[in-house]
Amino acid sequence: MSADEQPGLYVESTIIMTTVRAVAPFVLTFALFIMFHGADTPGGGFQGGVIAGSVVMMLAFAFGIEAARQWVDVRVVSALASGGVLVFAGVGLGAMALGGQFLQYNVYEPYYYEASKYGIELVELGIGGIVASVAIGLFFLLAAGFGHVTDGEGEP
Amino acid sequence: MIEHIPVLLVVLPVLGAAIPLIVSLYSDRGGWSIAAVTMLAHATLAGLLVPEVWTGGVVSYAVGGFALPYGIELVVDGLSLAVVTLISIISLGVLVYARHAGPHENTFYSQFLLLVTGLTGMTVTGDVFNLYVFLEITGLAAYGLVASGRRVSAAVAALKYLIIGTVGASLYLLGVGYALATTGTLNMADMSTKLAAVGYDSTLVLTAFGLMVGGLTVKVALFPLHTWQPDAYANAPDSVSAFISALVSTVSAYALARLLFSVFTVDFLTAVPAARWALLVLASVSIVAGSALAVSQSNVQRMLAYSSVSQFGLVIAGFTIATPIAVLGATVHLIGHAVMKGGLFAASGIIERKTGATTVSGYAGMAGRTPFVAGAFALLALAMVGVPPAIGFVGKWYIVLGAVEAGLWPVVVVLLASTLLTLAYFARLVERLYFAEPTIHDEPAVADGGAEADESPASSDHRSDGGGAVSTGMIAVVVAAAVLAVVLTGAVPLLDQLLDQTLPPLLQ
Repeated sequence: MSADEQPGLYVESTIIMTTVRAVAPFVLTFALFIMFHGADTPGGGFQGGVIAGSVVMMLAFAFGIEAARQWVDVRVVSALASGGVLVFAGVGLGAMALGGQFLQYNVYEPYYYEASKYGIELVELGIGGIVASVAIGLFFLLAAGFGHVTDGEGEP
Repeated sequence: MIEHIPVLLVVLPVLGAAIPLIVSLYSDRGGWSIAAVTMLAHATLAGLLVPEVWTGGVVSYAVGGFALPYGIELVVDGLSLAVVTLISIISLGVLVYARHAGPHENTFYSQFLLLVTGLTGMTVTGDVFNLYVFLEITGLAAYGLVASGRRVSAAVAALKYLIIGTVGASLYLLGVGYALATTGTLNMADMSTKLAAVGYDSTLVLTAFGLMVGGLTVKVALFPLHTWQPDAYANAPDSVSAFISALVSTVSAYALARLLFSVFTVDFLTAVPAARWALLVLASVSIVAGSALAVSQSNVQRMLAYSSVSQFGLVIAGFTIATPIAVLGATVHLIGHAVMKGGLFAASGIIERKTGATTVSGYAGMAGRTPFVAGAFALLALAMVGVPPAIGFVGKWYIVLGAVEAGLWPVVVVLLASTLLTLAYFARLVERLYFAEPTIHDEPAVADGGAEADESPASSDHRSDGGGAVSTGMIAVVVAAAVLAVVLTGAVPLLDQLLDQTLPPLLQ
């Protein structure tokens, strides 16, 4: 009924705020768990990233979208997205610099005996960062509505 | 270093796409420079690969060093090399155009480079699932770019494109699933031998073929599946229309050819005539219907979009005929069409900025106001019709020769009719441009109040979107496209030789 007025959407609720406060750390931990187990069990950066992104959405539902938007710095979101790509490419190109193929983890092994395992984990974390930040960014963009698109001389 | 080029071609634009995001925290500009540097490096890498493939033949790369049928393979042969070079050159051209025409946001250049990533990836991959991944990257970046237009209609067009494009990609993925269930492999070369072992008449193989090819024809935009295309091309910003009309369908058609020759092989087409005929009929219907729809358009950009539907029918017909000469013709037309159509969209963008003309009747007499661009537009249009020295002629000629050789007379008739139909819509436009009385020259004055009759063209340039003015670089791009459309004819023997060296394994 109050769908057309944005600020009216948010209703402060002690129950939701308390629940989110309690649950959020566990959800974030679960997200990391999924990301770290991508190499040998179902899961990985994509799934873990979405779960990590959902933490921010939970906070937005509990404390209001504007509050969440101010709390999550846009620089963090950008850095996560770009950083994820750079980590992925870095691991891949590093292997090439050491004389292997792109993403050939075992060329790192002379330097660290479990490099293959942790190389994959690092790439999964990078992917998780990209997915989480894109999910968060999309959420905030959608929540902002169309006001910023159609202003100016937009014609239907 | 040289052996790593196939993967670097894909990784480089991804890296480039990540950087504008960070830059945008500090500055609103800078995206263009990053994209330009990235694409120059991309072009250099593609250039380095040319002598490599020319002398050494197919270049193959195992990502991650995994043993080949299991790991992801990247393959560059003559066909993919030609398409990669095309991607590099067109991207650079579009960047020069976008320098002034915009969009100027950093996010635009991120998406631009992501689109280049997807296109390059689709071109160099030798793995059917990997092809799906890059197909999706290409699609998502293209949807975003179409939506970057300022008008609401751009968002609607992008949504339509998103829905139809996703259905197409999903069909392809489903087909890959069937193929994987049949053969247990995703590597193209490995899959092609295993498909032969399973037997081409197996229901699973036929289903896989139908779904994979059906999915890709959505992306190529053949006739009944083309509905996303005119809206997307006409509503996107000019730079984006030029870019996606030149490359997105082109690379999808390349992927379709790759499936036909490297996965299902020509043997499949001869063993299952129904599959060949289905594709030929689809292509022929597309040629005729696309041209007919193009003739009936009044908006120039929509006309160009429907023209693509028809021209891609021609390309797919050439690939499906699958004799060496027809494949050469289809490849030439694939590349030639990209240059011509990109140039035509860029030219229509400039004409709109300079004169406000967007419709066929509005183009009347505009040659006097934009001599260079109108000249280039006319040249590109004639090249597309297939007037002899131009690249459009060579491609169509070889496709027709191939059809005659194969004795596919109904297809020959359609191919020849298509030239006539292409002439029908382009001749009308060129005639308007040069031989009709201007209908629009005082329209801005009328909009202003109608009193001033003698307004100079420069001051009447007050188009609301995009700032109106046109840079020398934008005109240079269009003229270069027109020159390329003629000069490329000289490169056809080289392409022939390149395909000869790498295609024989494809054509038995």
